[in-house]
Amino acid sequence: MAYLMHKTMIKRTCRQLAFTTCALLLTAGVAQAQSLDVTNARLSLLPGNTPGAGYFELHNSGDESVTLVGAESPAFESVEMHISSEHNGMAHMHAFESLDIGPDERIEFAPKGQHLMFMRRVAPLNEGDEVEVVLTFSDEQRLPVTFNVVSPTSL
Amino acid sequence: MYKVLLATLTTLLLVGCSDQSWRTTDVADIMPPLDFALVDENGDSVQAEEYLGKPTLVYFGYTYCPDVCPITLARLGDAIRKLDDETRDEIQVLFISVDPARDTPEVLKRYTDAFGPEFVGLSGDKAAIDAVTNRYRVAYEYGEENENGDYLVTHSSAVFAFDREGQAQFLVRDSHPVNDVEADIKRLVAQG
Ligand SMILES: [Cu+2]
Repeated sequence: MAYLMHKTMIKRTCRQLAFTTCALLLTAGVAQAQSLDVTNARLSLLPGNTPGAGYFELHNSGDESVTLVGAESPAFESVEMHISSEHNGMAHMHAFESLDIGPDERIEFAPKGQHLMFMRRVAPLNEGDEVEVVLTFSDEQRLPVTFNVVSPTSL
Repeated sequence: MYKVLLATLTTLLLVGCSDQSWRTTDVADIMPPLDFALVDENGDSVQAEEYLGKPTLVYFGYTYCPDVCPITLARLGDAIRKLDDETRDEIQVLFISVDPARDTPEVLKRYTDAFGPEFVGLSGDKAAIDAVTNRYRVAYEYGEENENGDYLVTHSSAVFAFDREGQAQFLVRDSHPVNDVEADIKRLVAQG
């Protein structure tokens, strides 16, 4: 019951959001960016030059699908989208190029699954620092997100 | 119904404890005892015998792995920190790097220190690593180098557990629930 009520509320909010989005479409790019909401952005990092992993949740509250095609950060020389998987007792990791996020869809970059792989830090980083990252989409949209630097032991 | 289920579960748990089977995968009869000749975090040659006397968890990975390896080690660290103060110091985790080209003793030391004092990094030349991976029937494979010379390594996702005498006990797979892993680690440390 509570779940149903909650769902109705979400639907209503979405409808309102969609309406707002329409109204804002006059100011193109901005309206698009407002339909994407990133939460819980963390950058798991170890000392030295080992690469870091970026985790976050992304909700597309818009009416249109978007396609995430990558990420970049002034704090790292390169950032790739990776996915970890396990087959027959072996841990694999490989890069992927894009991810579609449908209307009202939520996706998650989470430990042992999809992650951003941050390679070659430009300057030393410490737990508690903040790192600016830009998520890039196929429609040229750029979404700035602040990641908190954390230890993998806190995840 | 609920009560019956609970009673059954309790019975199962009790039976599980009395006949000494592990909640994760029991490998006591199929895996050989702890044995290796590797290089430690200080660059010194070490033998498995030097690590006997403490219950030991062994994981094969590499430090250039940002996701699976640190998360696996961090979760082992969580399980260890849930143990009683007295028993916590008794367990050790050996992180055996299958990527010695990048994982020098210095890199390994800095890496394992981030997880806690129980974590020890080991590696060695290819022959020494292969002797250990063959012994425990795990594989590893290097991916292609990119233009920066970076490469990924496919490696075993299992954690092997040995008792104080170095006898193989259980094996933790990715699919095992955290509760089972924690219960088995607790029991491994508790057994005399
Ligand atoms: Cu990765």
